[in-house]
Amino acid sequence: MFSKRYLLSCAAAAVLGFAQPAAAQTAEVIHWWTSGGESAAVKVFADQFTKAGGKWVDTAIAGGPNARTAAINRTVGGNPPTAMQFNTGKQFDELVEGGLLADVDAVAAQQNWKAIIPAAIYDAVVRQGHAYAVPINIHGQNWFFYSTEALAKAGASEPKNWDELFVALDKLKAAGLIPLAFGDQKNWERNMFNTVLAGVGGAEMFTAVWGKRDANVVKGAGFKKVAETYKRLKGYVDPGSPGRNWNDATTMVIQGKAGFQIMGDWAKGEFTAAGKTPGKDYGCTVLSNSSSAGYVMGGDVFAFPKSKSADVAKAQAMLASVMLAPDTQIAFAQKKGSIPSRQDLDVSVLDACAQKAVGWLKDKSAQIPANELLSPPAVTGAVEDVISAFWNDNGMAADAFQAKVVAAFASAM
Amino acid sequence: MLRHRSRLAAQVALLPAMLIALVVYCGSTGWTVWISLTSSRMLPNNNFVGLRQYEILFGNERWLVSASNLALFGVMFITISLALGFLLAILIDQRVRAEDLLRSVFLYPFSMSFIVTGLAWRFLLDPTLGIAKIAHDIGFTWFEFDWLVRQDRVIFTLLAAGVWHAAGLVMAIMLAGLRGVDQEIWKATRIEGIPAWRAYLFIVLPMLKGSFATATILMATSVVRLYDLSVAMTNGGPGIASEVPAKFVMDNLFERQNIGLATAAATSMLITVVAVVAPLLYWRSRAEKAAS
Amino acid sequence: MRRKGWRLSARRVGLYAFLLISAAFFLLPLYVMLVTSFKDMSEVRLGDLLSLPAAPSVGAWVKAWTTACTGLTCNGIQVGFWNSMRILVPSVVVSIAVGSVTGYAMSLWRPRGATLLFGIVMSVAFVPYQVFLYPLVRLFSFAGLNSSLPGIITVHTIFGLPTMTLIFRNYFASVPIELFKAARVDGAGFWRIFTSVMLPMAVPIITVAVILQVTGIWNDFIFGLVFAGRENFPMTVQLNNIVNSTQGEREYNVDMAATMLTALVPLAVYFISGRWFVRGIAAGAVKG
Repeated sequence: MFSKRYLLSCAAAAVLGFAQPAAAQTAEVIHWWTSGGESAAVKVFADQFTKAGGKWVDTAIAGGPNARTAAINRTVGGNPPTAMQFNTGKQFDELVEGGLLADVDAVAAQQNWKAIIPAAIYDAVVRQGHAYAVPINIHGQNWFFYSTEALAKAGASEPKNWDELFVALDKLKAAGLIPLAFGDQKNWERNMFNTVLAGVGGAEMFTAVWGKRDANVVKGAGFKKVAETYKRLKGYVDPGSPGRNWNDATTMVIQGKAGFQIMGDWAKGEFTAAGKTPGKDYGCTVLSNSSSAGYVMGGDVFAFPKSKSADVAKAQAMLASVMLAPDTQIAFAQKKGSIPSRQDLDVSVLDACAQKAVGWLKDKSAQIPANELLSPPAVTGAVEDVISAFWNDNGMAADAFQAKVVAAFASAM
Repeated sequence: MLRHRSRLAAQVALLPAMLIALVVYCGSTGWTVWISLTSSRMLPNNNFVGLRQYEILFGNERWLVSASNLALFGVMFITISLALGFLLAILIDQRVRAEDLLRSVFLYPFSMSFIVTGLAWRFLLDPTLGIAKIAHDIGFTWFEFDWLVRQDRVIFTLLAAGVWHAAGLVMAIMLAGLRGVDQEIWKATRIEGIPAWRAYLFIVLPMLKGSFATATILMATSVVRLYDLSVAMTNGGPGIASEVPAKFVMDNLFERQNIGLATAAATSMLITVVAVVAPLLYWRSRAEKAAS
Repeated sequence: MRRKGWRLSARRVGLYAFLLISAAFFLLPLYVMLVTSFKDMSEVRLGDLLSLPAAPSVGAWVKAWTTACTGLTCNGIQVGFWNSMRILVPSVVVSIAVGSVTGYAMSLWRPRGATLLFGIVMSVAFVPYQVFLYPLVRLFSFAGLNSSLPGIITVHTIFGLPTMTLIFRNYFASVPIELFKAARVDGAGFWRIFTSVMLPMAVPIITVAVILQVTGIWNDFIFGLVFAGRENFPMTVQLNNIVNSTQGEREYNVDMAATMLTALVPLAVYFISGRWFVRGIAAGAVKG
């Protein structure tokens, strides 16, 4: 009795407190872009959306998993945001199956996505012939960023393959610098592993492991070499790495305290925010032991929860088309460090690193679809646990690791 | 008439609690158990798969690590907190000066959240900035204290923070128990010439069974719920070394989009709690009956 | 005689030494948090954890309160503080209202099903919350309560019910039954007896309940994270977000100031309430 009356009055108070004039198209967007460079990039979207007459309500939640959790909870719970961020791939599969997402077919047709977006990225947002998300950018996940100053100090040069990398790392170590800057959190441990898997194992092994979950490949000698190479990297990170945020590791490279960082090209946003120029203050490369480039390609998308309100649908359509508008795409990519998902733009304003990626995007054999495009979160997560245990346990042998990866494949129905 | 209306009013007054008990407590538990028997991933479905999720769960290394972490943490946390708390209670019971101040100092951590506790201790135990650095700076260069980032030691850092948080609570409960001990008993032990420590250990301690059980139950329930501390202090790392079951459930429920497995884990936690707490409750009710 | 006195005082010295060392262990984190929060970053970087700030400054506190960032929003932890307040006040009132009425009805009126209800409610005190989380998320979405203030208030009421019911039931059960009977003979009904006889007597136990709920709800993390929604994230969730989003260097002084700010309310409750706090815990220690 008490509670009901009280709740009602609270609800009334809440409504009064939050009531906002509903003049402009309001879009509440959940994302996890909280670092300096990321914040600058998301501001591009916000500004463009405002310019187009909308009102951007920013819901930044630190950490991808946290942000996705909040977004999914709210969507399942009937109080969805206008748009929510996912990584390009399978993270929103079940939301589509559950009929919780609105398609963006109209915008996709109008902007002719099929023609202007690379096939792998386009396919990743289409389910049963309908587009369910806007692929806003393409990120390379397996870049090596290095401080030119640190490498010069150590007498090392840009490596061309993995053997040369270890030579450079040794030189940095001898020079008293931190060879490899690392933000040691679970998902970055996985990303570093994927970098080795792509570079040392190659494209075929990468898709066999994440896509087909092929136990025989994982048990093989090739995978073992990947595991051993991965573990070898641990000798080059500093003791302060556990728990560090990735952008703080980037800062170490920016300041010349560390030589390399393995990270997606979103790290470039940090360099840019610090006023550093690629090719001059820092360099970037992707290492592959095979003849193809081995560029691991993922990205971000925004999905739009279904809404009965026509206003919300209008805001969603507007958001989708603003996000893929040519000038937004370029400005966003510059701040974020990614490259535009549309391939019909003049990208000459992008930096030297981005130019490399643009080249690989023209050649299908240079590309490897990212982990998120190949496996659902339950499997990715279970394998990530094993990778993390392997990285942190100095006693675990590569054989044991291989067996555990196979076991982890079975951990989701 | 009025009498009848009052009875009715009492029945009505109980409605909110009844509703909560039925819908939330029983309903949720039932649904959770049911989902754990299905193949649900991001969204619940009714595709019955028997105990398959439990098979997966108990073949999952991270779950096994989480469970053994919790067992290790739980046993040591409860034992050390009980021992330290009881010791502090005895010492404070020696008619010390500034008793109130000391009690406040020992109990204040309990008023803070585990998030606060975890962040404070994370800072304190940071290998590059914390206690380790002090030791280095005053010349103990051999002193390595990197337990926070060592897989085989990290659980003890959680333990230190946990004991710091809870020992004062044990002290408060035990002190209340000690103050309730009959003065005649102390007189008798003095006349018999029994040393104080023996009197505490062999005569008073058995009389405080009820207080012990109370403190143990309070700590046991907080052990099972252990989540905030791990999140704030280590986020489960390094690797999976400080993962706990509650975090396994949370991660699979939301980030991993694997609610079938998550609910199987939650159900397993529930069963464990029942198995541990039920005997404790029985023991305490017997201890109290014996005391009265 | 003299010898004995000497030995006794040696024991006293040992006793005080142990107590003082223990007190130092308990105070250390608080001390370190405090001194760090008053240093500037250049001093924190020197890494002398225990030294007093050379030039004490409240800069970190101001920054933590007003401008610390989570993502694009740099409004400091004050947002979380006010959210926590807005969650706290109604949650405490509602949960105590429901708990006291339930406890009162159970103890003195014994309506049908009361014993079974008590059994169910009490066992919940031991159940891991994870068991309830997912169904509750779905249930709340169905009721339109998800990520809202009423939603998080309801959650705190639901999970405060066992302890609140218990302490009020025990308290009202200890009220002399003659008092209750006399009131009934006078013709007072259920609510009348509650408001004019029982409640005025229950001030001590209400105090205890308030202390318990204020600390409990303020310190909650998991419910706030799952049920409150972003506009209502309580201070604990906000704190964790702020500490974990870094831009460049980790600002330990700001982190520690934010941590202290989050701890202030429960610490204040604790130090003001004094022994009542202990009474609260003891009363909340669920009896089977």
